Amino acid sequence: MAAIAGKTYPAVQMEIDPDRVAEFARAIGADPAEGVPPTYAAVYSLGVTAPQLFGDEEAAIDFARLLHAEQEFEWSRHPRVGETVTSTGRVASDTSRRGMRFVSFESETTDASGDPVCRSRALFIIRT
Amino acid sequence: MTERRVTFTREQIAAYAEAGGDHNPIHLDDEFARSVGLPGVIAHGLLQMGILGTVAADAAGGPGHLTRLFVRFAGMVLPGDTVTFTATPDGDGKLGLSAINQKGETVLTKATADYLP
Repeated sequence: MAAIAGKTYPAVQMEIDPDRVAEFARAIGADPAEGVPPTYAAVYSLGVTAPQLFGDEEAAIDFARLLHAEQEFEWSRHPRVGETVTSTGRVASDTSRRGMRFVSFESETTDASGDPVCRSRALFIIRT
Repeated sequence: MTERRVTFTREQIAAYAEAGGDHNPIHLDDEFARSVGLPGVIAHGLLQMGILGTVAADAAGGPGHLTRLFVRFAGMVLPGDTVTFTATPDGDGKLGLSAINQKGETVLTKATADYLP
């Protein structure tokens, strides 16, 4: 299997939809009146980009053997309901040892002006 | 210290699958979950992280204050499990976080957050 460190996927846009934000807030027990929950980044940053990695034949991620091991979100600011953000996913590292493959996947989210909103870092471990 | 205790339910896991957009059947279908070696459906790690994020946000003075959140997904959470989530300011804009189930097992390890007071 080829390591794909450095591979970048096409940017994906998403509108921060008020209904979905409210639904997400209720699911995690947050108050929907408090605006966009910080971890809604799981949707607008990681959620829109990770499927590109999982669906990439070259990446050859065996979804059935995949474990989401670590997650970090770092915010420059939190998005507002109604705005559109753009996220770009990139494989930061891809290494294998002792029957495990470690894929670090980073997503950078920016606003309509190109200013930073959020950076997501996911570590996926795939049993090989 | 800010604390929140949550007993996970299938309904909450299904609601997170919908809102979070993660429809992996290991979270929704017991039969499928068992076929891949799990005891049954499990909660999303990102649902656990989302709940921890609400506790961190409360400790930080509101969601807008949170600037970073990190977790390692260390343990499975099943429907019926009760997890206690805590956030404790460490000073200098840092929060120490924990998520411990009813058996005393830590389900999210190395959990930390930064905030702007």
